[in-house]
Amino acid sequence: MELKKTLLITVVLSLIGLTIWEIYWRSEGYYPTIDDNKSLWAVQRDKIEALAKDDVILLGSSRVLFDIQIYQWEQVTGRRPIQLASAGSTPLPSFRDIVRNTDFAGTIIVGVTPGLFFSTTSPMAPPWKSIQEKVDYFKDFTYAQRLNHALSIPLQKNITFLSDVEGIDGINLKELLKKIKLGEPVKNAMPPFHEFSDIDENRNNRMTKKTATDTAFANTVKKVWQFFGKDSKPLEKEATMSYFLEDAKIFKARGGNLILLRCPSTGYYKIGEAKFAPRKEFWDVLVKRAQVKSYHYQDYDWLNHFDCPEWSHLSANDAETFTLALAKIMMKDYALSNRKK
Amino acid sequence: MLFNSLSFILFLLIVLGLYYSKILNWTSKKRMLLLSSYIFYGLWNPPLVVLLWISTFVDWTTGKKLAVEENQNKRNLWLFLSMAVNLGFLFFFKYGNFLLENFTALANTIGFDYHPLKMDIILPMGISFYTFQTMSYTIDMYYKTMKPAKTFLDFSLYVTFFPQLVAGPIVRAEDLIEQFYEPKKATINQFIWGIFLLTLGLFQKVVMADTLLSAASDAIYNSGKIVSFWDAWIGTLAFSGQIFFDFARYSTCAIGISLMLGIILPDNFKYPYASIGFSDLWSRWHISLSSWLRDYLYIPLGGNRNGMIRMYVALMLTMLLGGLWHGAAWTFIVWGGLHGGYLILERLQKKYLPFSINSRNGIFLAFLTFSCINISWVFFRAKEFATAKNMLSSMFLLNPDGEKVLGLFDLLKVGVVISFLFICHWLMRNTSVKEVSKQISPLSLAVVWVIMILLISIAQGSGEQFIYFQF
Repeated sequence: MELKKTLLITVVLSLIGLTIWEIYWRSEGYYPTIDDNKSLWAVQRDKIEALAKDDVILLGSSRVLFDIQIYQWEQVTGRRPIQLASAGSTPLPSFRDIVRNTDFAGTIIVGVTPGLFFSTTSPMAPPWKSIQEKVDYFKDFTYAQRLNHALSIPLQKNITFLSDVEGIDGINLKELLKKIKLGEPVKNAMPPFHEFSDIDENRNNRMTKKTATDTAFANTVKKVWQFFGKDSKPLEKEATMSYFLEDAKIFKARGGNLILLRCPSTGYYKIGEAKFAPRKEFWDVLVKRAQVKSYHYQDYDWLNHFDCPEWSHLSANDAETFTLALAKIMMKDYALSNRKK
Repeated sequence: MLFNSLSFILFLLIVLGLYYSKILNWTSKKRMLLLSSYIFYGLWNPPLVVLLWISTFVDWTTGKKLAVEENQNKRNLWLFLSMAVNLGFLFFFKYGNFLLENFTALANTIGFDYHPLKMDIILPMGISFYTFQTMSYTIDMYYKTMKPAKTFLDFSLYVTFFPQLVAGPIVRAEDLIEQFYEPKKATINQFIWGIFLLTLGLFQKVVMADTLLSAASDAIYNSGKIVSFWDAWIGTLAFSGQIFFDFARYSTCAIGISLMLGIILPDNFKYPYASIGFSDLWSRWHISLSSWLRDYLYIPLGGNRNGMIRMYVALMLTMLLGGLWHGAAWTFIVWGGLHGGYLILERLQKKYLPFSINSRNGIFLAFLTFSCINISWVFFRAKEFATAKNMLSSMFLLNPDGEKVLGLFDLLKVGVVISFLFICHWLMRNTSVKEVSKQISPLSLAVVWVIMILLISIAQGSGEQFIYFQF
């Protein structure tokens, strides 16, 4: 066997093939992105053990993830927060994890997106399951997984075809095969759900420029929200609130600083939230029972003038402005641990 | 550490760099391989390396004593010590909760209101593999069929050698330890062929098992629904392909990596889905386990030396325990029992209805065997009997109103992949990848290799574990 020759041809042809594949996807408008996977979350979660009293942890769903820009926050407060919010999830399991499994006694800002915060306490429900899987993954986060993650970041930052994105924008083999549909189309199928943000290795997440400027593209995201809105289940107000308050009590008792935050929504979401989770019955009751500092965007002129391109999240520029304003308001209120009266 | 991960690529490059550097002599290279193996294992869960150390120490000591001890009672005691430690670990970590559940069920059945908490036990990766490997050494020493390992280092490396530590092949001491006595270095052709085998293994894991088959199998078996005839068969066929590609190709990676170090590991799979009958299957599927069970369980149980009935009992017991080896659940035991039944039926057929196998009936018989294997996989894959019952009912047309879960493309995709797999196994039945590669031009082999590399890179995957790690 002339294996040396075979190896040489293989190396050359593989490099050519992979280069062509990379160039093709870049020519299609794709670019290298970091995957918001369990390891990325676990690396941030791991930092909690070393945090001090003055540090801040962000929990919540995608609104906190999009709307709080950690570098702008750091600019105002001098501390970079740990971003642990997770898209499509309730913060209840991650809050419990931090309260029960760490001795962190700094500031935790919990984003309250009514449709998710008050959604469920069922472990199998998607808003719970998605964040609980991250919490569990962290508990079993092996050294091999940590090393894999560290090695994968430079590759993810530089190679487009290594994208692990799922769905319509997925370009790995599994996702490409999923796009092939034969036979009758599925009735009432979910509309195509495009990626509309980019995350960095510190989990700072920014809406893409295209979403903010291309109305037709933003409308594709709106259609997905409407699709989910059709089948939304009744909220479990009492169960979720009791679950959260139990942990809030423990956290406060050890000197922790808990802050509730309601980020902006517009259009379809604003109307839906006012109808199905009216402020008086949900937010106000939660704030009253939790007895902690709270910030509702509608209560502040500086936070209430934004337009969400797809009804639920701020554009990257607006998120920066929102974060600067919010951090300044909190500092002025002495709401953060590193700003004493 | 997974073979299909970036950390393993880095790990392997460092190991190969040190192995082929001139700064280390052979003993130092073995020490380096041993340390690397502990790192390979410990990066998953460092404290569990202690189990490896205990197993190594106990069997090394036992082997040394058995080499010189002539008193039969003392020899028995030493053997018992090794068995107790190795099987004790296995029972505690792997079967602890299973035993507790069954004990609880039994207690409740006879009227005791006993509800213990489930034990929070982590299953050490590959424990079934390395305990069987170390036990084979001790048993061989007990029967005086091999010489003791020359040094503790050689023995430790035999127990811990990273390419095959967590998912086999389960290598016999005489096949591996003696390779450590003299300096080893791969020839250039061995080294390149090792890389080819590693690529082939990764291709079959990442592309075939994880990308093309696992989703269909999971969709059906995790659906919780009574599915249609086609969905039940396609889901089971997908699992059939998934487990083969997943497990057989771990062995291929292990053989390839060892070859890059100049160390030869035995074949563990020889195109098992083209088996004609079940004796043939077990000489082709997980060969290192089936030969272990034959030599250390079936033969000591009497084998075929004590008449037909005793032979069938020994065969069935061996297969039931073989089933249990794969997992702590009754479904695995039933899977083993089915294979025991298949083997008994085959022996009865050979005795009372003998016929010759030729080219015309061969492929039909292979297809029949493959179909029976698939029926047994239902018990292997289903997490509970209710799922297995529903699946088998659908496969035998007893659920005419079963739901359609898979799309047309998924049905076709799995159908094509499994047909390709079966035909490929049939054509390769009496040859090997190496033989075939010798007959084709370097360019053709390179093209095949490039296709595999490109598809692995495009598929990459999220580093899902090999199924057999849990065993």
